[in-house]
Amino acid sequence: MRLFILLFLACPISLFFGQNAGASDLGNDRLRVSGFGTLGVTSAGKENYGYRKELTHAAQFGSFSMFPDSVFGLQLDAEITSKLSATVQVVAERRTKQDFNNIVDWAFLRYQHAPNTVIRAGRMGIDLFMLSEYRNIGYAYLWAHPVVEFYTPVSLSHYDGMDFIYSKSIEQGHLEFKLYGGQTGSDIRVSRGDFGLRMRPLIGANASFETDHWKTRITFAATEVASTRSTQLDRLLNALDQVPQSVWPQAAGLPELISGEGDWAYYYSIGMSYDKNSWLIQSEFALTDSKWPSVALTNGYLSVGRRVGPVTFYSIGAYAISLDKPTRVTPQLSDPTLHQLQVVTQNSMNAIHVDQNTFSLGMRWDLHPQMALKAQWDHTWVRKNGGGLLILREPLDHNITLNIFSLNLNFVF
Amino acid sequence: MRYQIIIIIVLLLIPVTVVADIVVVVHPSNSIKELTRRQVVDLYMGRTSHFPNGQQLKRYDQPNNSSVRAEFYFRMTQRPIAAINAYWARLRFTGRASPPRVVSDHLEILEIVEKNPDAIGYLKKKHLNDRVTVVLEL
Repeated sequence: MRLFILLFLACPISLFFGQNAGASDLGNDRLRVSGFGTLGVTSAGKENYGYRKELTHAAQFGSFSMFPDSVFGLQLDAEITSKLSATVQVVAERRTKQDFNNIVDWAFLRYQHAPNTVIRAGRMGIDLFMLSEYRNIGYAYLWAHPVVEFYTPVSLSHYDGMDFIYSKSIEQGHLEFKLYGGQTGSDIRVSRGDFGLRMRPLIGANASFETDHWKTRITFAATEVASTRSTQLDRLLNALDQVPQSVWPQAAGLPELISGEGDWAYYYSIGMSYDKNSWLIQSEFALTDSKWPSVALTNGYLSVGRRVGPVTFYSIGAYAISLDKPTRVTPQLSDPTLHQLQVVTQNSMNAIHVDQNTFSLGMRWDLHPQMALKAQWDHTWVRKNGGGLLILREPLDHNITLNIFSLNLNFVF
Repeated sequence: MRYQIIIIIVLLLIPVTVVADIVVVVHPSNSIKELTRRQVVDLYMGRTSHFPNGQQLKRYDQPNNSSVRAEFYFRMTQRPIAAINAYWARLRFTGRASPPRVVSDHLEILEIVEKNPDAIGYLKKKHLNDRVTVVLEL
């Protein structure tokens, strides 16, 4: 913990000593160290409803905290030959599970096969959204934090595998196609406990087209839930397994819905952005289709920003809603133990159901070529049994609203 | 005297926006003698790391706080320099491209481009010398 704080203090200082260079060259052109960070304070959540912007983070139940937005990263780029380079990025942030595997965000080799084609292998960012490969780098995007409705449901930040990128400049703009495959996973926390999620295989394809001021991209990805490891989940599944079919016939089908193992998830999205002079507009919509209700949802947002000198004011409207209705546990049993199990099962299944909207207002102030200060207010409406992105200490049996205030300083060096 | 008045009138008629006083330069041995604005945008926005003839390149940038840098990027992209800095942070931290090397001033740009066949840089036209080739005037 102390190391974490020291790192934060060290970064802005290094920024001022870094002078003009955007990064430090270690003696020659071939090695480059650069870094990024966000130092922030967030007020979010309520006593029984915990907020987090990433499923991998611990939740915040009211009051102020510096952990939700604060992050620090270092990147090393090495040019091995004119065609081959290596990149390693390590990221410190407050995760529910801290280990070496989670801290190393990227570690890949990049081979420029021809001017138009690049092959990469190793650990890389999953390219699902506009922000997917840089959601940790606050300086690189407009908002104080990524849009919760759109970015939180996908907890996967990187995958281990290979990708192939083909790009071409044509008269009207720049085209890029990307194919990738590998495996992924993350350690997340949901209301029913900690989860080790492993997805294998993961395959995907993107296409993007960028003109002077417009960027459009479409994305497809598919993955199979290889395993969901969780003690609480295992306990629930074991209990359901022991229920006699004659007493509660529905119980036999529930473990499959709850665990998701062996299910595939298909992700489709479209994103557009416009950036010219004073205006900065971005919008994305996605559909995650799966038999596993935990991940099947549709979401989207529209963000409009206006630059006034060094300050950009923006507003965002966003939604996320599960595709499935919460499963109703039937019939109500009179046996107290079984009834208790029914209540736990029902609550667990409701706790993953998402139904929320957010309206946000914010500003970004570029106060230095390598530093930006951001402030944002989010007002979120979460509907009854729709708190799947929150950590619930009690079942959400009524509609609630939440306010999130974020203030953070973002820097790169 | 009459010529001077005509020259002044002509100068006044030229819209400010078309005053081309930033030039993009390469080494004289480079087979590229001309680049379009779009090609320079692709090079300086990290979309390609090669000249249109397939030759690999190294890009050089003026100091972060300099007005020539802000003006250069604005003329190319109509985006303020803060947006360009954020854009490059994206490319850099996703490992997609290395940002242009930042040098200390136009003299260093000239010195590097004069010596390196794979270099590309930009500077104010008034600082130009005859040991580099201009491929685009902005």
